[in-house]
Amino acid sequence: MSTTKRYWQDLGELSEAPQVPTNEFNTPLPFAEALGDKGLTGSTTGRRDFLKFLGFSLSAATLAACETPVVKSIPYVTKPEDITPGVANWYASTFYDGEDFASVLVKTREGRPIHIKGNPRFGINRNPNTKKGSINSRINSSVITLYDSLRQKGPVSAIGDGSWTASSWASADKAIMEGLTKISASGKRIVLLTNTVISPSAKQAIATFQNKIGGTSLAGDDGMSVQVGSKVDHIQYDTISYGGITNANLKSFGKRVFPSYDLSKADVLVSVGADFLSGWGNPTENVWQYAVRRRPEDATAEKPMSRHWQFEARMSLSGANADMRCMVKPSEIPSVVMGLHDAIAKKLGGATVGATSVASADGHIAECAAELLAAKGKSVVICGHNDEGTQVIVNSINAMLGNYGSTIDLTNHTFFKQGDDAAVQQLVKDMNAGNVGAILIAGVNPIYSLPNSAEFASGLKKVGLSVSFSSHADETASLCSVICPDSHWLESWNDFMPKPGHYALAQPAITPLFDTRQWPESLLTWSGASGNYHDHIKGVWQAAMTSRTDMPVDFTTAWNTSIHNGVYEAYTNAAEPLAFAGNLTEAASTAKESVKGAGEWEVQLYTKESIGSGLHANNPWLQEVPDPLTKVTWDNYVCMAPADLLRLTKKTEIKELRIGEQDDAHIVKVTIGNTVLELPAVPLPGQTPMTVSIALGYGRGANGENVGRAACLHNDDGNVMPIGKNAYPLTSVSNGAMKYVALNASVDVTGEMYQMGLTQTQLTGMDRESIIKETTFAEWSKHEPRETYNEKEMLAVHEDVNHDDHIDARDKVPATDVNLWKDHPVAEVGHHWGMAIDLNSCTGCGACITACNSENNVSVVGKDEVRRSRDMHWMRLDRYYSSDTTWEEGREKGEGKIGLYRKMEEPSASPKVFFMPVMCQHCNHAPCETVCPVAATTHSNEGLNMMTYNRCIGTRYCANNCPYKVRRFNWFNYVTEKFGEVNPAWDALGRMVLNPDVTVRSRGVIEKCSLCVQQIQGGKLAAKKAGTPVKDGAIETACSAGCPTNAITFGDLNDKNSKVLAIAESERAYHMLEEIGVKPNISYMVKVRNIEEEVAHVHETEAAHN
Amino acid sequence: MTANAVSNEDIDAILYYADNYKPKVAPPPDGTTAGGGAKDPKQMGDDTPWQWLIIVVLLLLVVVLSLGGVKNQLKNALHERDGKEAVPERSIWGSIVHWSGNNKSWASIFGFILFCFLIVQGWNWAINIGIYGGEEVAHYKPEQPIKFNHTLHAGKMAINCQYCHSSAEKSKHAGIPSANVCMNCHQAIDQGPVTGTAEIAKIYEAVGWDPTNMKYTGVEKPIAWVKVHNLPDHVAFNHATHVAVGKIECQKCHGPVDTQMDVAEQWNSLTMGWCIQCHNETEVSQMASGAQSNGYYDEIHRRLTETPLGNKELQKYLEDEKITVKELGGWECAKCHY
Repeated sequence: MSTTKRYWQDLGELSEAPQVPTNEFNTPLPFAEALGDKGLTGSTTGRRDFLKFLGFSLSAATLAACETPVVKSIPYVTKPEDITPGVANWYASTFYDGEDFASVLVKTREGRPIHIKGNPRFGINRNPNTKKGSINSRINSSVITLYDSLRQKGPVSAIGDGSWTASSWASADKAIMEGLTKISASGKRIVLLTNTVISPSAKQAIATFQNKIGGTSLAGDDGMSVQVGSKVDHIQYDTISYGGITNANLKSFGKRVFPSYDLSKADVLVSVGADFLSGWGNPTENVWQYAVRRRPEDATAEKPMSRHWQFEARMSLSGANADMRCMVKPSEIPSVVMGLHDAIAKKLGGATVGATSVASADGHIAECAAELLAAKGKSVVICGHNDEGTQVIVNSINAMLGNYGSTIDLTNHTFFKQGDDAAVQQLVKDMNAGNVGAILIAGVNPIYSLPNSAEFASGLKKVGLSVSFSSHADETASLCSVICPDSHWLESWNDFMPKPGHYALAQPAITPLFDTRQWPESLLTWSGASGNYHDHIKGVWQAAMTSRTDMPVDFTTAWNTSIHNGVYEAYTNAAEPLAFAGNLTEAASTAKESVKGAGEWEVQLYTKESIGSGLHANNPWLQEVPDPLTKVTWDNYVCMAPADLLRLTKKTEIKELRIGEQDDAHIVKVTIGNTVLELPAVPLPGQTPMTVSIALGYGRGANGENVGRAACLHNDDGNVMPIGKNAYPLTSVSNGAMKYVALNASVDVTGEMYQMGLTQTQLTGMDRESIIKETTFAEWSKHEPRETYNEKEMLAVHEDVNHDDHIDARDKVPATDVNLWKDHPVAEVGHHWGMAIDLNSCTGCGACITACNSENNVSVVGKDEVRRSRDMHWMRLDRYYSSDTTWEEGREKGEGKIGLYRKMEEPSASPKVFFMPVMCQHCNHAPCETVCPVAATTHSNEGLNMMTYNRCIGTRYCANNCPYKVRRFNWFNYVTEKFGEVNPAWDALGRMVLNPDVTVRSRGVIEKCSLCVQQIQGGKLAAKKAGTPVKDGAIETACSAGCPTNAITFGDLNDKNSKVLAIAESERAYHMLEEIGVKPNISYMVKVRNIEEEVAHVHETEAAHN
Repeated sequence: MTANAVSNEDIDAILYYADNYKPKVAPPPDGTTAGGGAKDPKQMGDDTPWQWLIIVVLLLLVVVLSLGGVKNQLKNALHERDGKEAVPERSIWGSIVHWSGNNKSWASIFGFILFCFLIVQGWNWAINIGIYGGEEVAHYKPEQPIKFNHTLHAGKMAINCQYCHSSAEKSKHAGIPSANVCMNCHQAIDQGPVTGTAEIAKIYEAVGWDPTNMKYTGVEKPIAWVKVHNLPDHVAFNHATHVAVGKIECQKCHGPVDTQMDVAEQWNSLTMGWCIQCHNETEVSQMASGAQSNGYYDEIHRRLTETPLGNKELQKYLEDEKITVKELGGWECAKCHY
């Protein structure tokens, strides 16, 4: 637009000839200084021209990008018969890593494994009542490590200066075989160091190897026991040792085994420091067995709701679920066991062990012992203290109570946990003495996990031939002379015998991605055997099956059925009488010895639900799953009683210890002897005062070893930092077993601060009953109207509804009756998808979160983003501690509101814990839908709150308006390489783990739980094709299928016979925040605790009321 | 196969049928014109009168301009007589500007109309960016590594679509057939009527078939076809739903593949508007029995009829006397986007 008017900037311009500046600025701008690059200042392009160019090229690029790119599509040349592109295949397989065991189903798409769930038909981890296989987050997350691009691509050998040269299997085999022959002739020891091997075929391979190298060894009848008389020693080493228990069983019953437990038969369950829901024993079995006795509806006179006692130092997952929890120090654990023993022995007339008093727990011990006595034969006592003496006393308690044969089975014991810590320590000595000629290491990482790893490392240098079968050049493998990488379990054939007669098969779901070979096959190759490992397993099975008369004759059918089922149940041993033959006096002195020298501070070492012993440290899904109690991601830390931390940091209020985006954690220094560990401190309510707990399994790759793509973080300078610190140096060996307590420590704050990533910072439920509801079993079982424990939310209205001629706050109607909106046509029309979550069955383990991650391509964002509350998990597990202060009490005492709220924020020193899985509640009156300016989130007539990514423009109004805070915003393109270092799923190989049925979201859009709409659509399609209604239970969401305790039930609320409707209409059901009237489709079930005091407490307040 | 599965008469009958086969007339792609098959989009609108309109408008314009000139000359003549200055000579643009200056409100109205017209035209143009197929835009018809002739196979030879695209009723993908499916026939047929041996030899190369020795060499070379129908990644389209449950003819979306597609092309626009238009019109069978019944929909129907709320909804659905896919939720976002 041109105009004829002229304006002058100043008088000078008017008077003189107009000097229109050629540049916009009269004085030259200091570009040269600002940019420092001479080339940039030479440009003659003005700012406006530049903007014009920019605009033109932007629009040109936009238009050019609209052209559809040419997409190539390459079909199979010869399509495998069983693969239909777009249709998932499920294969039965078995997961075993030396710690966890589960029969699983592997979902593959176009030949790529993408998801893992429990085997619903077979396996020891299967709940026969619910027909679901229970697994945990470690197992269902393991699929992503298959696509770790940092795995060893083939055999490599060290060339001396710390670097490696790639070699071929043929040359590696040749060198190793020559080396072994030479060493065998020299008479030096050859050692095979593995985790607990429960594979009959691997045992057979080891036997073949031992025979070949020299000496004679024979496989036992069941293919499990191998007599060693060879120059090759097979030493088994469990990263987390159970040597104390197995040794105690040897002393008590003559069997060095880890027993089978059946917690579903236990009316009273006493755990003294054993976190059996998370890591202790065989958690996949423990969890479902525990949960079947926790639903009050299932309680009968014969099988009452179980009563769970937990004595422990750290608030563990098991402790959080316990009815009665008693805080004791690690050094008091043997005394608690002895106290229980003597209380029971006195009643039953057995020998006592001279228990000493535990000041803080004596009352509880007496009460607990009385309950155990009342439940003779239907109880179980387990103990996490890895000390032989203590465990002998535990065995004695269980023997006195007659639990062997009912809750504990030593006849059909497990084959897990065969590790021998004494043998490992002897090996370290032998290596340093130069007596070991060759060592072959499979499945374990001793240089990371041994307390005396430096000695192991120096010994390893003296071993002529050291072969690692590790899939990464990790702490141990990087010091070996050859790495012969093992295949990932999803690429492997394997067989397992977790219990006598129970055969489990693992079949590969994909051919090996790299040039890897299973370690037993390597052993067979070096023994001169030909053929692949599959044929070897088949041969072993055929021999085993033909050797027994109770096995089928038609082997081929049996074999094919076993591959299909993943399990072959051959036989169970008939029960045999057991007599406790332990020496109690000796045990008592050993037990006391094991906790001698306790100082002021005691340190307990534990494993986390996610990372475990450290084997899974390179799994980004597991690193980002928040710890169930502390809600910390991507770190380990020192758990401390809040009061202790207050004292050390010289603070006065709990809220000053808050950790969050703005609030850093205090670093404390834990010193034991010469070992110093500096870690951030996390106040953990329920932690025994003057004790600290530190998680093992962190600090992998501290010296820059390759331990996997997500095992390290990068600091601001781009340097690799290990995640957390390695706490294994604090372990020790005593009396032939690894000890996970250090009793004489000093703890102090360093004054430094540390940034941590937490997903939940609030601690208590603030006495709000509309979110968390709980009651006691006694209260619930009165079966009075549900209002006594599950009160409906009421809303005061401006009408005289109670007909007292006054309109006041007493005119209340149920909140669900008040309706501001027009109802969506959901009820009684078509489907109405809903979910019911039983807070009694939920243990808070977090397997649902990782199952959801894997099904829905949920992004991993890394610690830095978690700190900014940008975690992308579609579901979370809210954890609430109980507080000593209640609203009612506080008001009666006349406390001011602010002071009261502040007090209610503070958890008790020994709180009750409440876990609550929260995902999108799919409100029928969804607040998010009404505020979206572009209708990107809308309601379906099936009750789903739909999220349309391609429509979303990222205003985040919906997230602001969501009362449940379940909506997640993509702040970045998490799919790009920027996040590759925290999420290997975003590199070219890692992307193979993505579910092709779910859109990968990009920057700028909101995402949230879709109630696995892809599964719903798939289930409906299957029903339509079959011409039948959708069967109840046919459609499962990832979380409901992945829940090991069946706490989550999904289904059609319009199906009058559906399980979910029955639960959602039951007396325990309630909706979260019912009073806001959003009508969610997710119901929760009131948590029922099997305790009494709370009743008394309620009555007291009621009495006070009246 | 058993040796005498077919008799000589059967073979003669088949050959007779194949020789005398006349392809069925394909249904029109969008139901625009019934009967006459689909038209070439380029020939569309040949006989429309708008060219005539342009000619008339141009003629009128010439008349207006010459009349304007005459008017100016007359005016100048008058001015000359009155001794005034002559009206300055103006170009056409100049006179438009001059006129606009004198008639500001009319100029604004015309300007506004022109502006709106350009916006609408621009919008319509932009909306078709990156879209192929349909009536207005050229069909996407890329050259393929093997000149596979759909008309020959699906039309003349009358091979069922799902013989090759076998996963269409099982999976979300119809699937490009693997080369071993080609070999079911082409192991015997090594020469075609159009391209002779040249194109079939490419299949042999891909599967590693040695036609002279009649055996597989084991050297396979996958074929990189060019994908014709490209949906955005955020669309979850499922073939099985439409083919196995909806019983929709392939031609409904893919056009007259069997009669007019020597080279596969994208016939319809595959836009969301196109998708949901069909969902709006397509009726879901309410038959409780017979070939069209489906136990799944029976249950949905039962829920609608047996409850008061459902009944109310059902009456709404039945206002047009049919239940459409849309009414059962076929327009909901999460049916296709998740």
